[in-house]
Amino acid sequence: MHYPWWYVPFLTSPMLIAIIAVLHVLVAHYAVGGGLFLAVETQYAYRQNHREYLAYLKEHAWFFILITVVYGAITGVGIWWTIGVASPLATQTLIHIFVFGWAMEYVFFVLEIVSAFIFYYFWGRLDPKTHVRVGWMYAGSAWMSLVIITGITAFMLHSGRWPDERTFWAGFLNPQFVPQVLARTGGAFLLASLYVYLHAAFKAKDPALRDLIAARSARPALLGSLLIVLGGIGWFLTLPESAKAALVAASTLNILVVLLFAVTIAVFFMLYLGPYRNPGWLSPGFALLFFTFGLVAITTGEYIREAVRKPYIIYNVVLGNQIYAEKVPELRRIGYLEGGTWTKAWVSHHYPQVLNDGRIDPPRLLMLPEEDQVKLGEVLFLHHCNDCHAGRRGFSAVGQLLRGWTPDMVRTVVKHPEKAHFFMPPWAGTPEEAELLTKYLLRIAHPRPGGMRFGEER
Amino acid sequence: MDPTTLIGPSSPLGYPAPYGFLVFFKVLGFTLHMIPMHLWYTGILLAMLLQWRGGEETRRLSRRLMQPMPILIALGINFGIVPLLFTQVAYYKVFYPATILMAWPWVSIILLLTLAYYGVYIYVAGLRSEGATPARWRQAIGWVTAAFFLLIGFFFSNAFSLMTNVRAWPDLWLRESVAGAPLGTALNTDDPTLWPRWLMMFALALTTTAVFIIVDAEWLASRESAEYRATARRVALTVSTLGVIGFALTGSWYVFGTWPEEVRAEMMRGPMRVLTGLTALGPGLPWLLILWQWRRGGTRARAAATALAQVLVLALNAISRQIVQNVELRRFLDVTAEPVHMQWSPLILFLLLFVAGLGVVAWLLGRLRTTQSVNPSG
Repeated sequence: MHYPWWYVPFLTSPMLIAIIAVLHVLVAHYAVGGGLFLAVETQYAYRQNHREYLAYLKEHAWFFILITVVYGAITGVGIWWTIGVASPLATQTLIHIFVFGWAMEYVFFVLEIVSAFIFYYFWGRLDPKTHVRVGWMYAGSAWMSLVIITGITAFMLHSGRWPDERTFWAGFLNPQFVPQVLARTGGAFLLASLYVYLHAAFKAKDPALRDLIAARSARPALLGSLLIVLGGIGWFLTLPESAKAALVAASTLNILVVLLFAVTIAVFFMLYLGPYRNPGWLSPGFALLFFTFGLVAITTGEYIREAVRKPYIIYNVVLGNQIYAEKVPELRRIGYLEGGTWTKAWVSHHYPQVLNDGRIDPPRLLMLPEEDQVKLGEVLFLHHCNDCHAGRRGFSAVGQLLRGWTPDMVRTVVKHPEKAHFFMPPWAGTPEEAELLTKYLLRIAHPRPGGMRFGEER
Repeated sequence: MDPTTLIGPSSPLGYPAPYGFLVFFKVLGFTLHMIPMHLWYTGILLAMLLQWRGGEETRRLSRRLMQPMPILIALGINFGIVPLLFTQVAYYKVFYPATILMAWPWVSIILLLTLAYYGVYIYVAGLRSEGATPARWRQAIGWVTAAFFLLIGFFFSNAFSLMTNVRAWPDLWLRESVAGAPLGTALNTDDPTLWPRWLMMFALALTTTAVFIIVDAEWLASRESAEYRATARRVALTVSTLGVIGFALTGSWYVFGTWPEEVRAEMMRGPMRVLTGLTALGPGLPWLLILWQWRRGGTRARAAATALAQVLVLALNAISRQIVQNVELRRFLDVTAEPVHMQWSPLILFLLLFVAGLGVVAWLLGRLRTTQSVNPSG
């Protein structure tokens, strides 16, 4: 409401966040778990004086840097970049609450980068003790980054005591914090092992070495699985009621939850039967399938985590359509167009006749010509609804969802979207504005599909 | 349309620390960011030119410029986070609208940066596997990478000039939007300050690259020949001279040709006049030091003094830029007037971690120095 709304045809701008976030998270967990893998295994290889394993680990460290320091780091920044333009009010709010959290994460991020480069580029030039210590320094810094950023993202799902207390710690130590740290730490262990299997399957030519890698990486992966289960249970138990309800009510989420369970169980079994019991199974095909399952599981999990947050971006603080939850009553009184900085400017510029003493007078909106009312309805749609819905066509397009709806049906849902679907934000405008939006929606709604019979035709 | 109507209300949360604290870290972060950023901004382009047209020694210099580039890019991105974070805290009212108006170019920076970063790795891998002259396709990637970084710089200049060019918002918005929602395709190309700012940063980047060449030759190139070091000093002087001339020309264009009256009035009187003068003349000091080394030969101490002078130049630029930014915005909003709701314990924890982090980095670098002296052939 305070910022312009970025219009991205077909896709909607928040979907760009989802795309970049998914691309990032696939590597971000590896950046944490992979660091631990390198620290533990390098220490082991030095102790055993296992030169082949050390050579492999050096090769893996290079792969790790190329994936995490380049792709992982830039996509991480990319999420921040995208949320600023696609979800500015929520971003502004998060940054004002947690700027020192991000600043702390930055300190660990610097340590990650410096120690990662030293770990790789000074391989063989540092004495083993220092080298391993640098590896642990990376692993510790990376995990601390995970902890800090999880505090912030968990806050978005459950703001806990923050709406009452409004302090950094009330927000950071929210009910979702510990479960999500557990689950993400587990995810980091598990995903790192899958990356290791994939890399080793192609790069480790010696079967004995490959078996060693498979067997040793199975343990953190199994521990990771356990943490995921524990964290997942905690995550579910501490979900807000609306999120639990969304998980059960939305058919897409039902399917995704089943998919998540199926793929996760498959990964556990593959892990147990493959690398843990039969390390020799680690062929490129097996590793690739394993890796793909892991990616599917983590992508699905992230999608579910994001989706159950609706209708909020930050639970009980900022709604998906960039409105402070506490501002809804005021907007219903003065009007959405009046309350939004850019909508007010747009209306004042194009329709000065609806202003009364410098404020938008809602009854005057309905005195405008029909086409102008529809145009204003589009303004309302883009600013109030486009965060989740495309227009005529595209992602969750309302033009498709409203096929065959009568004007009264549309009007009722526009006035009370949160009653029709509890995961939709409430209407935050005047009745006159609801009428404008209704007119626009009816204009873009597709007709009811033809050829459907229910017996009346006979 | 009155552009101030497009600036939203203050956040009910207020600043988490006094404005001075936020802006200190913003300026400090920007100064640190500029050092590696300048090296990739013009260093890659210079390396490609030297590789293309240079002789044996200059190609060696090209290679020495490119080899540390992956690390420099990682550090540069990292150091860039701090100023951007504190910009979003203190300048949120103008930062978000400006970047939303140009959302597609702004978001494309991520893609360009990813491709450019991998491009650098591909080029550097060629230096390792193929020796002094990488394959032609790798060289082509090097050129594309250099172009991508220039484009990224152009988009940054757009975003940060548009942030203060609030007057241009209404036209850009009304021209490139659907029912009041921006398409995210606007650029600030009508702003007369954009071009000199972009070019001025390019010129300043040349001077930083020149200083890097000097520092590298004296501190890090101990195994290179005296002839190489002489070549490095000569190239550094040429690059620095070009940078200083470019900085003088584009700086004059920027100050005398584009500054609004109120900015000129503010920056040309009282103590600000001293700051403006020092900022304008500053690049001359490293240039003189490079000239001295070209004529009298380089030493580690001279190179260190040149580096110190360049950091000072960059800091002066960052401070002046910060003051100009606030003067440009003053007619639209006062960023220092926001309420402050102190977050004492997170702030103290951050400062403690910051100091501890510096300690850890110092320890790590100390270990490296010991290792290198123990095993110089490594």
